Amino acid sequence: MTVSNAQATVEAAGKFPKVDRFIITLSLLGMALLASLIWLETAPFLVGLFFVGALLGIALYHGAFGFTAGWRNWVVTGNGTGMRAQLFLLGLACLLIVPVVSGGIEGTAGTIAPVGVSLIVGSFLFGFGMQLGGGCGSGTLFTVGAGNLRMTLTLIFFIIGSVVGTVHLPFWLDAPGTDPIQLTSSLGPWGAIALQWVALAGLWWLVGRREKRMTGKTSHGLLDRDRSVSVFRTLLTGRWPFLWAAVVLAVGNLLTVILSGTPWGVTFAFALWGAKIAQFIGIDMTQVEFWTWDYGALALRDSLLVNVPSVMNFGVLLGAMLAAGLANKYNAGSKNPLVLRSVLAAVIGGSLMGYGARLGFGCNIGAMFSGIASASVHGWIWFASAFVGSLLGIKARPYFGLGN
Amino acid sequence: MERMYKRWRVVVIMSAILFVVMADHLRSPTFAFNMGQGTQTTLMQRDLGACAPCGAPCPSERK
Repeated sequence: MTVSNAQATVEAAGKFPKVDRFIITLSLLGMALLASLIWLETAPFLVGLFFVGALLGIALYHGAFGFTAGWRNWVVTGNGTGMRAQLFLLGLACLLIVPVVSGGIEGTAGTIAPVGVSLIVGSFLFGFGMQLGGGCGSGTLFTVGAGNLRMTLTLIFFIIGSVVGTVHLPFWLDAPGTDPIQLTSSLGPWGAIALQWVALAGLWWLVGRREKRMTGKTSHGLLDRDRSVSVFRTLLTGRWPFLWAAVVLAVGNLLTVILSGTPWGVTFAFALWGAKIAQFIGIDMTQVEFWTWDYGALALRDSLLVNVPSVMNFGVLLGAMLAAGLANKYNAGSKNPLVLRSVLAAVIGGSLMGYGARLGFGCNIGAMFSGIASASVHGWIWFASAFVGSLLGIKARPYFGLGN
Repeated sequence: MERMYKRWRVVVIMSAILFVVMADHLRSPTFAFNMGQGTQTTLMQRDLGACAPCGAPCPSERK
């Protein structure tokens, strides 16, 4: 009996499919250890954020929720399912988060950032880099958690690029730019939500129109899943429909706002990890202007366990590891041997993403998702500029032996 | 699916990460504070008055 036949028999018999018990045990042990440490040494809200991170990691893995592939699929094949899932995510998050950060819960604030040359250049470089690197900030993180070797290389160069970005950011901030623009300050929370929904609806229509022109049909795959498998089993072992993942990501971001006071961000932690390593090998990062600003200075001096993005990233890594164990696919992304051109793409892509994330004030999560969910104009500019960079990145992929 | 990794490698990598996180924590003001030897911890680091999530100042302030 072949493996696929055996699996089909197991499915038909209603038995639970094989899971990777070693990876599941190790990820749960890692979660228990880290959560205990955070509980003992810091504060309960950080434990909450750690588990929110783990939940987000599970959703990213089981939903295969990658911004990079979603953009590429639409551009190359016309398939707009991934794009529509992202637009739905932005619309839902905006509805959930804008009222909260606009005075709904005291002590919370939205994700804002200056609008100018730094943002445009940074997000453009990020968009180009994410197509070569093979994933955005969250995509890199969850695939590393799932044991992907090439993405680990991307992450290492993401961190290096981030550190260089922190050194250069003050220079870019002196280029022309304006203070953050929040739609809520002129339109109020509900006016800002309405305006953003109109913009998202317009993009939804555009995605569908192009898809129909290229493929002759409009796919409605947001709730697609393997119907031969029960809902419970799908929930545990994947693959989730895009809609499930989008709902979990939006609610997870809302929980992050409630617990930490601000929306979800990923890439500041990469810069922090890199700066701490640089300090360890004797480079004095405290002399760099970026690390003299209040937040950076506090984060660099203190423990990673009190830095919200770091704690959440640890959660995402372990959550994705658990999900990969449940799907019995840990390290499955590394089955093809690494070739030089693909390694080079990971190095260039990771470095550009790291550098771009600092200049652009975050990645698809911290700048685009959380920015738009806070009704900040910088989120939209990030989206547009990164998309243009991504178009060039898609054209460059074949030169590195990467398929489209 | 056939296992495509070596168990000991995963354990070593996870142990190394835990070790690095612990080493960083043991040198931190938060740990010193918890041991009664420091005066401050920074449980709330985010600067809500800053102009970006990374704590960057506003362009108008730089000018």
